[in-house]
Amino acid sequence: MMAEFNIDCKGMQCPGPIVEVFKKINSMESGDVLHIEVSDHGFHSDIQAWCGKTGNELVKLEDNGDMIAASIRKA
Amino acid sequence: MIEETVIIVLKVIIMKSYDILVIGGVAAGTKVAAKARRGDIAASIGVLTEDPDISYAGCGLPYYLGGVIQTRRQLVVRTPEELKRYNGVEVLTRHRVTSIDPDGQTVAVSNLETGGKEAVSYGKLVLATGARPVRPPIPGIDLGGIHVLRSVTDADSVQASLEGKDDGKVVIVGGGFIGIEVAENLTEKGMDVTVVEMLPQILPPFDPEVALHIQNHLKEKGVKVMTASKVEAFEGDGTVEKVVTSGGAVDADLVVLSIGVAPNSALAEDAGIELGLRKAIKIDGSGRTNLPDIYAAGDCSTVDHVITGDEAWVPMGSTSNKQGRVAAITLGGGDDAFPGTLGTTVVKVFDISAGRTGLGIREAKEKGYDPVSVTVPADDRAHYYPGSRRIFVKLIADRGSGRLLGAQVHGRGTIDKPIDAMVVALTMGAKVEDLTKMDFAYAPPFSTAINPLNLAATVLTNKMTGYMDSISAGEMKERLDDPGWDGLVLDIREIPEHMIGAIPDSINIPYVEMIDRLREIEDHKDKEVVVVCNVGRRAFEGYLRLKHHGFEKALVLEAGTKGWPYGLE
Ligand SMILES: Cc1cc2nc3c(=O)[nH]c(=O)nc-3n(C[C@H](O)[C@H](O)[C@H](O)COP(=O)(O)OP(=O)(O)OC[C@H]3O[C@@H](n4cnc5c(N)ncnc54)[C@H](O)[C@@H]3O)c2cc1C
Repeated sequence: MMAEFNIDCKGMQCPGPIVEVFKKINSMESGDVLHIEVSDHGFHSDIQAWCGKTGNELVKLEDNGDMIAASIRKA
Repeated sequence: MIEETVIIVLKVIIMKSYDILVIGGVAAGTKVAAKARRGDIAASIGVLTEDPDISYAGCGLPYYLGGVIQTRRQLVVRTPEELKRYNGVEVLTRHRVTSIDPDGQTVAVSNLETGGKEAVSYGKLVLATGARPVRPPIPGIDLGGIHVLRSVTDADSVQASLEGKDDGKVVIVGGGFIGIEVAENLTEKGMDVTVVEMLPQILPPFDPEVALHIQNHLKEKGVKVMTASKVEAFEGDGTVEKVVTSGGAVDADLVVLSIGVAPNSALAEDAGIELGLRKAIKIDGSGRTNLPDIYAAGDCSTVDHVITGDEAWVPMGSTSNKQGRVAAITLGGGDDAFPGTLGTTVVKVFDISAGRTGLGIREAKEKGYDPVSVTVPADDRAHYYPGSRRIFVKLIADRGSGRLLGAQVHGRGTIDKPIDAMVVALTMGAKVEDLTKMDFAYAPPFSTAINPLNLAATVLTNKMTGYMDSISAGEMKERLDDPGWDGLVLDIREIPEHMIGAIPDSINIPYVEMIDRLREIEDHKDKEVVVVCNVGRRAFEGYLRLKHHGFEKALVLEAGTKGWPYGLE
């Protein structure tokens, strides 16, 4: 069974959001999806680079200029 | 004999004559004419220019090509008719001045429409002949499809060449401000753009690592950039098809040459007017040339440098307008002087902006200063306020005197505000110390409680007093490239941050674990240990701890991994 998780990192500054993602993903099973909301703009490039490095799949990345919403499927 | 005399007399009677005659009608020329009119309501004022257009915004041309500015008319601030109607200035376009007779106070003019020749006499003469794009004698340079961009007419012909080639290949020769602005605009239009630059970096007025950030961003946006590549030939059958460079050949449907400009000063030189740096017309701060009743302003003339006091040549629209105003006041008998240039420039490149003012590191050294600099990332407004973006502030000062020498700021946020504040600081001769506590405006939508300049000046003070030892990205890169360097790059960020991208060969010990794990780097106690984080703040904390534990040669990497333009692993 695939599970979905949410974390809210609004208001958190670098490196908070990416560290939260890292911790959470470590506790998830392969195929699980993590949804995350972040206000720190640097996260936009960080999450892409991190998924590229780890092989986790970035299934969604939305950026309305103020808020970034991303979904990641654990490899 | 009598007949000849009659002809001469007739000529004198019908010869056009102006109290004030201006050659050139763009930024400086029209400014002189309009201001001279305000100073003297009765004077007869004429402008002669070979261009069909006057008073246009050359600076707007790249945006006209890109379609950001949609109509030609928007670029033209005033038409000749308007200058006549509102300012009482008579403008003759398509009239080229071919020589000046300073003793007879006349100029020889050729009418480019009719081919006719005439003489025009003047009381006071102002040279506002500007500058022209350089066209070096490269084989094939006269092929079709090779353009320069200076006048509205040039822009028209580029537009015509672009017609029906929306996804065509464009090669821009020269990665200066104009080249980069054109690259951005044509890329936004959907064209395939390559910039070829002879020097190892684009945008030479910026320090190399700042320019590299901009170059990286251009690449991110799909612009190909070839540095250290010299154009050797243009090839094609009638029209350019290929640009051959020392770094390889590139296909081209269109070429824009933007390798620099040269002052239009031959006319002046032939008339015995003294030239200065780069063959620009030498003027004093008030716009006077060495000959009586002859003045100059704008891109054709020299300008003093505010910091060094040396003669400079910095052809800018901003300077041209102000010099024009000063020359007009001077020729009207007034007392005014232009204090000079700081070489201030600002450029937008897709999502980032970059500006610089004052001296760069290399210039500062050349002028005999002992420059010390620091690069500090900062938020352009409160980090929690929507739209907050990061900027990188580089401050340069003279180590001995503490006098500020220059600033370079780039990033996704607002950068022209710190640049303009620095213009004021540099003009007033401020020291680093002064800038640490200046009362800049703050509320979350606008700035941060400690303004980016306050912050950068504080960090620079720390560096100058020895409280913090730090190195720039460029200085770090030199160490990495030096096989003899026996130091260590210590990345103290969290594990996932290090995974995302790290300086090559760095080791990762997160800040919170540092003290417990110091024995892992014990063997580097007497060697350089460069502490790295994202922006430099955590690294400074880590550095202080290392120092406390006896790592005497610890260093902070300024601006951290975010300010590292040489590629992360
Ligand atoms: C694409 C582009 C972008 C730019 N962007 C910026 C910017 O962002 N910021 C900035 O500050 N500056 C910018 N500039 C520079 C700015 O446009 C110039 O500094 C400014 O136009 C200079 O004005 P000027 O009147 O001194 O000379 P010019 O604009 O060169 O005008 C001189 C005029 O004199 C005429 N002339 C010359 N010789 C004769 C003669 N013998 N007889 C008759 N007429 C003659 C020429 O045909 C021309 O029309 C840009 C320039 C270009 C081309």
